Amino acid sequence: MKRTKFLSSFAMALAFAALASCGANAQQSSNPANKAIALTGLPGVKDDAKGTLTVENGKLHFTHSKKTSELTAADIEDVVTGEDTQASVGKTISTLSMAAPYGSGRFLALFRTKFDTLTLRYRDENGALHGVIFALPTGGAEPIKKQLLTQGAHTSVGEERAAASANSSSKEQKQ
Amino acid sequence: MKRYSNAILCLAVAALAFTARPLSAGGANPVKAKASAIQVEMIRSDEIKLSAEFQISLYENLIRQLEKQGGFEHVYRDGDRRAANAPDLVVLHSTVRGFKEGSERARRVTTVAGATSITIHCEFKSTDGKVLREKDVNGKVWFFGSNLRATYDFAKKTARVAHDNFNSSEHKS
Repeated sequence: MKRTKFLSSFAMALAFAALASCGANAQQSSNPANKAIALTGLPGVKDDAKGTLTVENGKLHFTHSKKTSELTAADIEDVVTGEDTQASVGKTISTLSMAAPYGSGRFLALFRTKFDTLTLRYRDENGALHGVIFALPTGGAEPIKKQLLTQGAHTSVGEERAAASANSSSKEQKQ
Repeated sequence: MKRYSNAILCLAVAALAFTARPLSAGGANPVKAKASAIQVEMIRSDEIKLSAEFQISLYENLIRQLEKQGGFEHVYRDGDRRAANAPDLVVLHSTVRGFKEGSERARRVTTVAGATSITIHCEFKSTDGKVLREKDVNGKVWFFGSNLRATYDFAKKTARVAHDNFNSSEHKS
Protein backbone atom coordinates (compact mmCIF):
# COMPACT_ATOMS: atom_id res chain seq x y z
CA MET A 1 0.00 0.00 0.00
CA LYS A 2 2.81 2.36 1.01
CA ARG A 3 4.73 1.39 -2.08
CA THR A 4 1.86 2.22 -4.44
CA LYS A 5 1.42 5.58 -2.65
CA PHE A 6 5.08 6.33 -3.10
CA LEU A 7 5.04 5.31 -6.77
CA SER A 8 1.96 7.41 -7.49
CA SER A 9 3.51 10.52 -5.88
CA PHE A 10 6.75 9.88 -7.78
CA ALA A 11 4.81 9.65 -11.05
CA MET A 12 2.96 12.88 -10.24
CA ALA A 13 6.24 14.67 -9.59
CA LEU A 14 7.62 13.37 -12.89
CA ALA A 15 4.53 14.58 -14.76
CA PHE A 16 4.83 18.05 -13.17
CA ALA A 17 8.49 18.25 -14.15
CA ALA A 18 7.79 17.23 -17.74
CA LEU A 19 5.04 19.84 -18.03
CA ALA A 20 7.23 22.54 -16.51
CA SER A 21 10.22 21.84 -18.75
CA CYS A 22 7.97 21.75 -21.83
CA GLY A 23 6.59 25.16 -20.84
CA ALA A 24 10.06 26.59 -20.34
CA ASN A 25 11.21 25.31 -23.75
CA ALA A 26 8.13 26.72 -25.44
CA GLN A 27 8.80 30.14 -23.89
CA GLN A 28 12.43 30.07 -25.03
CA SER A 29 11.65 29.20 -28.62
CA SER A 30 9.07 32.02 -29.07
CA ASN A 31 11.60 34.90 -29.12
CA PRO A 32 14.94 34.00 -27.61
CA ALA A 33 16.91 37.09 -28.60
CA ASN A 34 15.21 40.01 -26.87
CA LYS A 35 13.42 38.72 -23.80
CA ALA A 36 15.34 39.52 -20.63
CA ILE A 37 14.99 39.80 -16.88
CA ALA A 38 16.66 42.73 -15.10
CA LEU A 39 18.00 40.81 -12.10
CA THR A 40 19.41 43.81 -10.25
CA GLY A 41 20.93 47.27 -10.47
CA LEU A 42 18.93 49.00 -13.20
CA PRO A 43 17.83 52.43 -11.87
CA GLY A 44 14.07 52.85 -11.61
CA VAL A 45 13.42 49.18 -12.32
CA LYS A 46 12.46 46.61 -9.70
CA ASP A 47 14.59 43.50 -9.30
CA ASP A 48 13.54 40.56 -11.49
CA ALA A 49 11.48 42.77 -13.83
CA LYS A 50 10.69 41.04 -17.12
CA GLY A 51 11.02 42.97 -20.36
CA THR A 52 12.79 43.22 -23.69
CA LEU A 53 16.36 44.29 -24.34
CA THR A 54 17.42 46.09 -27.53
CA VAL A 55 20.44 48.08 -28.71
CA GLU A 56 19.64 51.07 -30.93
CA ASN A 57 21.27 54.41 -31.74
CA GLY A 58 24.15 53.87 -29.34
CA LYS A 59 21.84 53.03 -26.44
CA LEU A 60 20.73 49.92 -24.59
CA HIS A 61 16.96 49.95 -24.08
CA PHE A 62 15.14 47.81 -21.52
CA THR A 63 11.38 48.00 -22.07
CA HIS A 64 9.13 46.68 -19.31
CA SER A 65 5.46 47.33 -18.51
CA LYS A 66 5.25 50.21 -21.04
CA LYS A 67 8.31 51.97 -19.54
CA THR A 68 11.77 52.16 -21.06
CA SER A 69 15.10 52.47 -19.27
CA GLU A 70 18.14 53.52 -21.28
CA LEU A 71 21.88 53.25 -20.91
CA THR A 72 24.32 54.95 -23.27
CA ALA A 73 26.66 52.34 -24.74
CA ALA A 74 29.66 54.69 -24.56
CA ASP A 75 29.23 54.99 -20.77
CA ILE A 76 29.55 51.23 -20.32
CA GLU A 77 33.01 50.37 -18.99
CA ASP A 78 32.63 46.63 -18.99
CA VAL A 79 30.32 44.07 -20.62
CA VAL A 80 30.67 40.46 -19.49
CA THR A 81 28.56 37.46 -20.41
CA GLY A 82 28.13 34.33 -18.30
CA GLU A 83 26.02 31.26 -17.78
CA ASP A 84 23.84 30.09 -14.93
CA THR A 85 20.99 27.71 -14.24
CA GLN A 86 17.59 28.09 -12.64
CA ALA A 87 14.88 25.73 -11.52
CA SER A 88 12.59 24.68 -14.37
CA VAL A 89 9.71 24.43 -11.95
CA GLY A 90 8.11 27.66 -10.77
CA LYS A 91 7.76 28.76 -7.16
CA THR A 92 4.10 27.73 -6.80
CA ILE A 93 4.58 24.19 -8.05
CA SER A 94 7.80 23.92 -6.07
CA THR A 95 6.00 24.93 -2.86
CA LEU A 96 3.07 22.59 -3.56
CA SER A 97 5.44 19.71 -4.26
CA MET A 98 6.90 20.08 -0.77
CA ALA A 99 3.70 18.50 0.54
CA ALA A 100 4.29 15.34 -1.48
CA PRO A 101 4.95 12.30 0.74
CA TYR A 102 8.41 10.80 1.41
CA GLY A 103 10.13 13.97 0.17
CA SER A 104 9.38 12.99 -3.42
CA GLY A 105 8.76 16.67 -4.28
CA ARG A 106 12.47 17.27 -4.03
CA PHE A 107 12.80 15.27 -7.22
CA LEU A 108 11.56 18.34 -9.12
CA ALA A 109 14.65 20.28 -8.04
CA LEU A 110 16.73 18.09 -10.35
CA PHE A 111 15.19 19.77 -13.39
CA ARG A 112 16.98 23.00 -14.23
CA THR A 113 17.23 25.19 -17.31
CA LYS A 114 20.30 27.11 -18.43
CA PHE A 115 20.30 30.85 -19.05
CA ASP A 116 22.81 33.52 -20.02
CA THR A 117 23.77 36.49 -17.87
CA LEU A 118 24.81 39.89 -19.18
CA THR A 119 26.67 41.98 -16.60
CA LEU A 120 27.35 45.68 -17.23
CA ARG A 121 29.36 48.30 -15.38
CA TYR A 122 28.84 51.96 -16.19
CA ARG A 123 29.40 55.41 -14.69
CA ASP A 124 26.72 58.08 -14.40
CA GLU A 125 27.18 61.86 -14.91
CA ASN A 126 28.76 62.17 -11.42
CA GLY A 127 31.29 59.42 -12.10
CA ALA A 128 29.48 57.00 -9.77
CA LEU A 129 29.88 53.32 -10.62
CA HIS A 130 26.73 51.26 -11.25
CA GLY A 131 26.33 47.58 -12.01
CA VAL A 132 23.46 45.88 -13.83
CA ILE A 133 22.76 42.17 -14.31
CA PHE A 134 20.37 40.83 -16.93
CA ALA A 135 19.26 37.22 -17.42
CA LEU A 136 18.58 36.16 -21.01
CA PRO A 137 17.68 32.89 -22.75
CA THR A 138 20.66 30.73 -23.71
CA GLY A 139 22.58 32.31 -26.58
CA GLY A 140 20.91 35.70 -26.11
CA ALA A 141 23.69 37.56 -24.27
CA GLU A 142 26.52 37.31 -26.78
CA PRO A 143 24.74 39.12 -29.70
CA ILE A 144 23.75 41.99 -27.38
CA LYS A 145 27.33 42.21 -26.10
CA LYS A 146 28.63 42.40 -29.69
CA GLN A 147 26.11 45.10 -30.57
CA LEU A 148 27.09 47.11 -27.49
CA LEU A 149 30.79 46.81 -28.31
CA THR A 150 30.24 48.04 -31.87
CA GLN A 151 28.33 51.03 -30.51
CA GLY A 152 31.03 52.21 -28.10
CA ALA A 153 30.90 49.99 -24.99
CA HIS A 154 34.08 48.43 -23.56
CA THR A 155 34.91 45.02 -22.17
CA SER A 156 37.62 43.78 -19.83
CA VAL A 157 37.49 40.20 -21.11
CA GLY A 158 39.33 40.94 -24.36
CA GLU A 159 41.91 43.07 -22.50
CA GLU A 160 42.58 40.27 -20.01
CA ARG A 161 43.02 37.78 -22.82
CA ALA A 162 45.37 40.15 -24.66
CA ALA A 163 47.39 40.74 -21.49
CA ALA A 164 47.60 36.99 -20.84
CA SER A 165 48.74 36.27 -24.39
CA ALA A 166 51.28 39.15 -24.23
CA ASN A 167 52.68 37.73 -20.98
CA SER A 168 52.97 34.22 -22.42
CA SER A 169 54.69 35.49 -25.59
CA SER A 170 57.20 37.57 -23.57
CA LYS A 171 57.98 34.50 -21.43
CA GLU A 172 58.56 32.42 -24.56
CA GLN A 173 60.93 35.08 -25.94
CA LYS A 174 62.93 35.08 -22.68
CA GLN A 175 63.27 31.30 -22.81
CA MET B 1 30.12 18.13 55.29
CA LYS B 2 29.59 21.84 55.90
CA ARG B 3 33.15 22.48 54.69
CA TYR B 4 32.36 20.81 51.34
CA SER B 5 29.19 22.79 50.84
CA ASN B 6 31.03 26.03 51.60
CA ALA B 7 33.74 25.13 49.08
CA ILE B 8 31.12 24.35 46.43
CA LEU B 9 29.36 27.62 47.16
CA CYS B 10 32.65 29.55 46.81
CA LEU B 11 33.40 27.79 43.51
CA ALA B 12 29.94 28.59 42.18
CA VAL B 13 30.30 32.26 43.12
CA ALA B 14 33.72 32.41 41.47
CA ALA B 15 32.40 30.76 38.31
CA LEU B 16 29.48 33.19 38.18
CA ALA B 17 31.84 36.14 38.58
CA PHE B 18 33.98 34.92 35.67
CA THR B 19 31.05 34.32 33.37
CA ALA B 20 29.32 37.58 34.28
CA ARG B 21 32.34 39.73 33.43
CA PRO B 22 32.42 39.10 29.64
CA LEU B 23 28.65 39.32 29.46
CA SER B 24 28.62 42.75 31.01
CA ALA B 25 31.49 43.84 28.75
CA GLY B 26 29.55 42.71 25.66
CA GLY B 27 26.40 44.41 26.82
CA ALA B 28 28.00 47.86 27.12
CA ASN B 29 26.97 50.11 24.26
CA PRO B 30 29.98 51.11 22.17
CA VAL B 31 30.53 54.74 21.26
CA LYS B 32 29.47 55.24 17.65
CA ALA B 33 31.85 57.22 15.49
CA LYS B 34 30.41 60.22 13.73
CA ALA B 35 29.89 59.69 10.01
CA SER B 36 27.22 61.43 8.00
CA ALA B 37 28.10 59.75 4.71
CA ILE B 38 29.69 56.58 3.41
CA GLN B 39 31.32 55.83 0.08
CA VAL B 40 31.29 52.23 -1.08
CA GLU B 41 34.29 51.16 -3.14
CA MET B 42 33.91 48.35 -5.68
CA ILE B 43 34.44 44.89 -4.16
CA ARG B 44 37.99 43.71 -4.85
CA SER B 45 38.75 40.07 -5.58
CA ASP B 46 42.40 39.98 -6.61
CA GLU B 47 43.40 36.64 -5.10
CA ILE B 48 40.08 34.84 -5.49
CA LYS B 49 38.47 34.81 -8.91
CA LEU B 50 34.88 35.88 -8.60
CA SER B 51 32.40 35.99 -11.47
CA ALA B 52 31.37 39.45 -12.70
CA GLU B 53 27.73 38.96 -11.73
CA PHE B 54 28.70 37.95 -8.19
CA GLN B 55 30.91 41.03 -7.82
CA ILE B 56 28.22 43.38 -9.13
CA SER B 57 25.55 41.71 -7.03
CA LEU B 58 27.68 42.17 -3.88
CA TYR B 59 28.24 45.85 -4.69
CA GLU B 60 24.63 46.67 -5.57
CA ASN B 61 23.19 44.79 -2.59
CA LEU B 62 25.67 46.47 -0.27
CA ILE B 63 24.64 49.94 -1.45
CA ARG B 64 20.95 49.06 -1.17
CA GLN B 65 21.27 47.69 2.37
CA LEU B 66 23.39 50.64 3.53
CA GLU B 67 20.74 53.01 2.18
CA LYS B 68 18.03 51.00 3.97
CA GLN B 69 19.56 50.36 7.37
CA GLY B 70 23.06 51.88 7.50
CA GLY B 71 21.90 55.06 9.22
CA PHE B 72 23.85 57.42 6.94
CA GLU B 73 22.51 60.61 5.40
CA HIS B 74 24.20 59.83 2.08
CA VAL B 75 25.53 56.65 0.52
CA TYR B 76 27.92 57.37 -2.34
CA ARG B 77 29.02 54.93 -4.98
CA ASP B 78 32.57 54.23 -6.11
CA GLY B 79 33.97 57.25 -7.98
CA ASP B 80 31.12 59.63 -7.11
CA ARG B 81 32.63 63.13 -7.27
CA ARG B 82 30.01 64.53 -4.85
CA ALA B 83 31.58 62.52 -2.01
CA ALA B 84 34.58 64.90 -1.99
CA ASN B 85 32.44 67.61 -0.35
CA ALA B 86 30.74 65.34 2.19
CA PRO B 87 31.60 66.03 5.85
CA ASP B 88 32.59 63.06 8.08
CA LEU B 89 32.90 60.71 5.15
CA VAL B 90 33.72 57.04 5.76
CA VAL B 91 35.04 54.93 2.91
CA LEU B 92 34.22 51.22 2.84
CA HIS B 93 36.84 48.98 1.23
CA SER B 94 35.83 45.32 0.76
CA THR B 95 38.16 42.51 -0.28
CA VAL B 96 37.06 38.93 -0.96
CA ARG B 97 38.96 36.54 1.31
CA GLY B 98 37.07 33.32 0.75
CA PHE B 99 34.46 31.94 -1.62
CA LYS B 100 32.84 28.53 -1.81
CA GLU B 101 30.31 28.19 -4.59
CA GLY B 102 27.62 25.70 -3.59
CA SER B 103 24.81 24.27 -5.65
CA GLU B 104 21.18 25.34 -5.53
CA ARG B 105 20.20 21.92 -6.85
CA ALA B 106 22.07 20.13 -4.05
CA ARG B 107 20.49 22.47 -1.47
CA ARG B 108 16.98 21.80 -2.69
CA VAL B 109 17.42 18.06 -2.99
CA THR B 110 19.35 17.32 0.19
CA THR B 111 18.76 20.40 2.45
CA VAL B 112 22.09 19.78 4.21
CA ALA B 113 24.55 20.02 1.30
CA GLY B 114 25.41 22.65 -1.29
CA ALA B 115 25.71 25.78 0.85
CA THR B 116 27.30 28.82 -0.80
CA SER B 117 29.58 30.90 1.39
CA ILE B 118 31.57 34.08 0.86
CA THR B 119 33.92 35.83 3.29
CA ILE B 120 34.78 39.48 2.75
CA HIS B 121 37.19 41.64 4.71
CA CYS B 122 35.54 45.02 5.27
CA GLU B 123 37.56 48.12 6.23
CA PHE B 124 35.84 51.34 7.19
CA LYS B 125 38.40 54.11 6.65
CA SER B 126 38.43 57.84 7.10
CA THR B 127 39.30 60.04 4.13
CA ASP B 128 42.93 60.28 5.33
CA GLY B 129 43.23 56.47 5.19
CA LYS B 130 42.97 55.72 8.91
CA VAL B 131 41.19 52.42 9.61
CA LEU B 132 38.20 53.15 11.87
CA ARG B 133 36.75 49.64 11.97
CA GLU B 134 37.55 46.38 10.22
CA LYS B 135 35.78 43.05 10.21
CA ASP B 136 35.48 39.82 8.23
CA VAL B 137 31.85 39.45 7.18
CA ASN B 138 30.43 36.14 6.00
CA GLY B 139 27.54 35.75 3.55
CA LYS B 140 25.80 32.39 3.27
CA VAL B 141 22.88 30.68 1.64
CA TRP B 142 22.01 27.42 3.35
CA PHE B 143 18.63 26.11 2.26
CA PHE B 144 16.63 28.10 -0.27
CA GLY B 145 17.53 30.54 -2.99
CA SER B 146 20.12 30.96 -5.71
CA ASN B 147 23.85 31.35 -5.05
CA LEU B 148 23.52 35.12 -5.52
CA ARG B 149 21.45 35.21 -2.34
CA ALA B 150 24.72 34.92 -0.40
CA THR B 151 25.47 38.47 -1.57
CA TYR B 152 22.24 39.69 0.04
CA ASP B 153 23.17 38.00 3.33
CA PHE B 154 26.62 39.63 3.26
CA ALA B 155 25.13 43.05 2.47
CA LYS B 156 22.66 42.85 5.35
CA LYS B 157 25.38 41.89 7.84
CA THR B 158 27.74 44.62 6.64
CA ALA B 159 25.01 47.25 6.87
CA ARG B 160 24.38 46.06 10.44
CA VAL B 161 28.11 46.49 11.26
CA ALA B 162 28.00 50.01 9.81
CA HIS B 163 24.84 50.84 11.73
CA ASP B 164 26.33 49.57 15.01
CA ASN B 165 29.59 51.51 14.65
CA PHE B 166 28.71 54.78 12.95
CA ASN B 167 26.08 57.43 13.35
CA SER B 168 25.32 60.68 11.59
CA SER B 169 25.19 62.47 14.98
CA GLU B 170 27.84 61.64 17.60
CA HIS B 171 26.28 60.10 20.71
CA LYS B 172 26.24 57.01 22.89
CA SER B 173 23.41 54.70 21.92
